[in-house]
Amino acid sequence: MVSFTVNGVSQDVDVPLGRRLSHVLREELNLRGTKVGCDSGDCGACTVLVDGDAICACLTPVAQVAGRAVETVEGLAKTGPTALQKAFLRHGATQCGICTPGMVMAAEALLRCNTKPDRAAVETALGGVLCRCTGYTKIIDAVLDAAGRGTGPEPSAGCAVGARVERLDGAAKVMGNEAFGADVVEKSALIIRAVRSPYAAASFAFGNLEQWAEARGVRVFTAKDIPGINCFGVIERFADQPALAETNARMAGEAVALVAGSEDVMAALSFEDFPVIWTVKDPHLSLKDAAASGAAVLHKSRGDNQLIAGVVKRGDVKVALAEAAHVVEGSLRTGHVEHAYIEPEAGLAWMEGDVLNIRACTQAPVLDRDSTAKVLGLPVERVRIRPAATGGGFGAKLDLSVQPLLGLVTLLTGQPSKMVFTRSESMVASTKRHPAQMHAQVGADVDGQLVGMVFDGDFDTGAYASWGPTVAVRVPVHASGPYVVPNYSAEARAIHTNGPVSGAFRGFGVPQAAALQEQLFDQLADQIGMDRLAFRQKNALRDGVTTVCGQALSGVGIGACLQALQSRWDAALISVAGFNASTEGKARGVGVASCWYGCGNTALPNPSTMRIGISAEGTICLHQGAMDIGQGANTVIAQLAADALGVPVHQIKLIDADTAVTPDCGKTSASRQTVVSGKAAVLAATALRAKILQMANMGSEAEISLSGGVLTLIEGVARRDISLRQLPQAAYGYVLWAEETYDPPTEVLDENGQGAPYAVYGYGAQLAEVEVDLALGTVKVLKVTAAHDLGKVINPLLAEGQIEGGIAQGLGMALMEEFHPGKTENLHDYLIPTIGDVPEVVSHLIEVPDPEGPMGAKGLGEHVLIPTAPAILNAIRHATGAVLTQLPARPDRVLAAIQAAMS
Amino acid sequence: MIPAEFEYYRPKDMAGVLSLLEEHGDDARVMAGGHSLIPMMKLRMADVPHLIDLQDVGGLSNIEINSDSIHIGALVTQSDIVEHAGLADVAPILREAALQIADPQVRYMGTIGGNVANGDPGNDMPGLMQCLDAVFTVAGADGERQIPARDFYEAAYMTAREDDEVLTSVTIAHPQGGYAYEKQKRKIGDYATAAAAVQITKEGGTCVSASIAMTNLSDTPVYSEAAGAALVGTSLNDAALSAAIAAMWGDIDPTEDNRGPIAFKNHVAGVILRRALERAWSRA
Ligand SMILES: Cc1cc2nc3c(=O)[nH]c(=O)nc-3n(C[C@H](O)[C@H](O)[C@H](O)COP(=O)(O)OP(=O)(O)OC[C@H]3O[C@@H](n4cnc5c(N)ncnc54)[C@H](O)[C@@H]3O)c2cc1C
Ligand code: FES
Ligand code: FES
Repeated sequence: MVSFTVNGVSQDVDVPLGRRLSHVLREELNLRGTKVGCDSGDCGACTVLVDGDAICACLTPVAQVAGRAVETVEGLAKTGPTALQKAFLRHGATQCGICTPGMVMAAEALLRCNTKPDRAAVETALGGVLCRCTGYTKIIDAVLDAAGRGTGPEPSAGCAVGARVERLDGAAKVMGNEAFGADVVEKSALIIRAVRSPYAAASFAFGNLEQWAEARGVRVFTAKDIPGINCFGVIERFADQPALAETNARMAGEAVALVAGSEDVMAALSFEDFPVIWTVKDPHLSLKDAAASGAAVLHKSRGDNQLIAGVVKRGDVKVALAEAAHVVEGSLRTGHVEHAYIEPEAGLAWMEGDVLNIRACTQAPVLDRDSTAKVLGLPVERVRIRPAATGGGFGAKLDLSVQPLLGLVTLLTGQPSKMVFTRSESMVASTKRHPAQMHAQVGADVDGQLVGMVFDGDFDTGAYASWGPTVAVRVPVHASGPYVVPNYSAEARAIHTNGPVSGAFRGFGVPQAAALQEQLFDQLADQIGMDRLAFRQKNALRDGVTTVCGQALSGVGIGACLQALQSRWDAALISVAGFNASTEGKARGVGVASCWYGCGNTALPNPSTMRIGISAEGTICLHQGAMDIGQGANTVIAQLAADALGVPVHQIKLIDADTAVTPDCGKTSASRQTVVSGKAAVLAATALRAKILQMANMGSEAEISLSGGVLTLIEGVARRDISLRQLPQAAYGYVLWAEETYDPPTEVLDENGQGAPYAVYGYGAQLAEVEVDLALGTVKVLKVTAAHDLGKVINPLLAEGQIEGGIAQGLGMALMEEFHPGKTENLHDYLIPTIGDVPEVVSHLIEVPDPEGPMGAKGLGEHVLIPTAPAILNAIRHATGAVLTQLPARPDRVLAAIQAAMS
Repeated sequence: MIPAEFEYYRPKDMAGVLSLLEEHGDDARVMAGGHSLIPMMKLRMADVPHLIDLQDVGGLSNIEINSDSIHIGALVTQSDIVEHAGLADVAPILREAALQIADPQVRYMGTIGGNVANGDPGNDMPGLMQCLDAVFTVAGADGERQIPARDFYEAAYMTAREDDEVLTSVTIAHPQGGYAYEKQKRKIGDYATAAAAVQITKEGGTCVSASIAMTNLSDTPVYSEAAGAALVGTSLNDAALSAAIAAMWGDIDPTEDNRGPIAFKNHVAGVILRRALERAWSRA
């Protein structure tokens, strides 16, 4: 028995004394505001206060707090958010929210002994808490302004779009009540753990599983138990991944069996003597191994281990480059990058009648439902996905993780089941950014006009297809950057290896390609003798000019973005020159890079459906099925719907994604939710408004208001009051409702990749200022100035948050992130930017309306990461002359490149 | 993975600790802050059936500053070192180094005893203690004995402390002259790619003594007597610095890992040592 106080209440808990405090708080005391992101002291999500000091609850045996006062996030907000928590909301300091309780507690500890901390003090105090979403800038702002007052605007009808509205779903995040995948409680649930392959390539056979299971009081499930088709994939045509491997493991960490049992048994269970016999094979660990002639193939139907190649060709690039006045060429190699969201995959399954219910973190509820149903041999009506709050995704939570495994156990046992990945399991089993080996050549004429470009890249898609086809198709479309390139030839291939599955990660291969293309553009500008920004401006895409796919665009904002950087560019070049002239041992540089990115699926149907209804009691409900994984869909889409309907946004009640109650909004991927689901919401709300106006026989300018079950319409002197209770029930429990679907118009690409792959593009450019330690090769990014064309800024607060977060991830990709299977499956060997690594960010939000997007809006989520790495690389080269041919630009590589540049 | 089940003890005095250690032999380990041990147990790198928590043992949490020596109890935390006002006056290098360890959450729990007893070449305190020529006091069934930090480290996780002994305190003579703890790390909370601890004294413009130790560049911390000797009698001009660095290179033995290849680590060690020496000299 251990006695201590938690949030002022004494607690006596009867647990083994060595249990971690995090576990005791969450499981024994049901205080699940304290999160567990790594269970190793690396992420700080479990930060609580003990006698006022911030500590990691995951490394503290409960006996160490005997007689002491523990405070958790639940203890702060007794009657509503505290001033600090309000500051987090006001400043947009929470996105997915999984890090927020830890951040808030670390900040609380600081503020109690230092009411007016400066930025450095905040950075020190929060240095042990990782955030993967925000880029930390808004967190720092919130802590510095904790004494401030007020809340974000609550705009009146018609004024939501453009307002800095606080996240509508934010209060639960800052107060620690948000239920993520691991927070769903069901005491009777069987706990599932997976037996995973320790080898990258091996065949296997099981021994006596029954005996092993019986002796331990658990149940074991293997591929043989799967009732449906043991093969899933995000793109059905390429589906190739088993939920549990059958006889062959194609990657380290592949699940081969599940063990399920009661919590106590499972906690103590060791897999050391699990009866499986491995026959280890020679794995292909690199693109070179997989492509070698005679290499064993991973999938029979894919000879040469090539999954797919994507091509875009326009004009005659051979002639163009042969005749070009200036040509540069270069190569770039990039490694696996891990998403490193702070929430490891987790969820719960249970039966309701004959319907399997799954509550897990995800970016794609309907895809989860369909794939899980397929694996389990169920009709889709018998699977209901009710997503948990998702603690970051960035692409990897598009693929199935726990869903089919939970489903299998619950379906076969009839019992609820729960599965929570450990940090290392999350890192070993989830998808990665594709490692790439790319080569490109770019030419320009004497005036600096681009004449042609060749791009060729191999992308390591790992053991299974996942999003490999998307990467192979997207990269050739985007590898030109947002520039006019009349002669172009680009090919990208997705190649299977026995490495981790590479899937979707913010940008689908485009960030890798841009990192090469934008570096070459700098070299070309230098060769021509042109200012690097002016060179980009001269070649930037414009309205009506065709892209490398032959698509003529309108609403092209890249020129405006580059223009917005001009004044900082001029100033930074001068200040850098001054610094370099007066400083030894360090050099500063400035770099710029652009991005463009098509929103939604490439040349494929991509619909979203939204429903909006008004109940007899007068509640307006938006069935918002577009998963908000922190990026802000819940808020932004509600803002759009509110303005289209003509009511205040705070009057809209969100109905969260649930495959039984929200229509299909597709996946939260490809920066499509604001554009595609947002437009569906606008259409649905507009249709509902039209119905109301028609019913009231009022003109289109009528003002609608809703109060106490009465809908009032006013137009000039005319006024109509509609008592909602007197209307007949229409459907879904509403008296008035509308549902609309939007599918962005695209055109299939021909064999040369010509066509209209996307309906809407977004644009951006970033300027990085860096300082390089010439002796150590370390790079400090001092400042990033970002200009992004959003078409229409729906919520500046959230847009800035996306930009700052994307820049932090781009910085990680540029300088430190490198995943090696078996070596970096934790958050201390795998480095992600901490609060001390991120630069000052200045955002310019540009509005060049898109004729297709909702109220002119364009996507943003992935765009923001694309220019960061090349801008940093260009700044390093500007500072030192070093040309990096491999990412990340680790200090040893930077140093070697500096030495190569000098010799 | 969840650590294998273990028995947890919380004795009230050292006698209790020692008798548990005697009873369980190899199967028992003491725990101080747990911030190295628990992660290792989680990764099953350490199998500890009997865990003996030292937190309730009295007399291990004091910092005493005597006229010529400093006495630090094994349970003194890194944040105690950062916050102790008197300590920063007599031995400022301790604070400078402690502040470069991890983050506030870790510093609040991690102890000096755990840090020096752990034997992980990545820990910062061992090199620092070698630089300061600290003496560790360990208690065992046969009473106490003193082990100089410079003789304490044998290999990774192998020290001169016997399994049934407990480190109770660290004693340091008041450091003299200029100091610097210079650490190259990849991010907040990272162990060193290379770190150098330096104490240096000068008279006129000439170096009288120099003590140099390096961290995470071998399987133990490296006290480089030769590097120090190369500086004595010099004005720390460029030639002397280069000679000291060359001597240090002769004593370290880095291996390739995520932090970089061997040549790079040697290079960084040289840069870091040069910077530490320049800073210490300017403070001497
Ligand atoms: C995220 C993170 C980052 C870190 N970064 C750094 C860093 O940059 N630099 C650094 O130096 N450290 C770092 N650490 C380690 C931290 O400083 C540890 O706290 C410290 O190494 C061990 O101290 P402890 O009190 O926690 O020891 P414990 O974990 O309790 O013990 C460590 C080992 O020492 C033994 N031991 C402990 N006390 C005694 C004693 N009195 N007598 C005999 N044996 C004893 C234990 O049996 C165990 O084998 C980091 C830790 C974490 C979690
Ligand atoms: S869960 Fe405790 S630090 Fe990550
Ligand atoms: S908001 Fe910080 S990790 Fe998502």
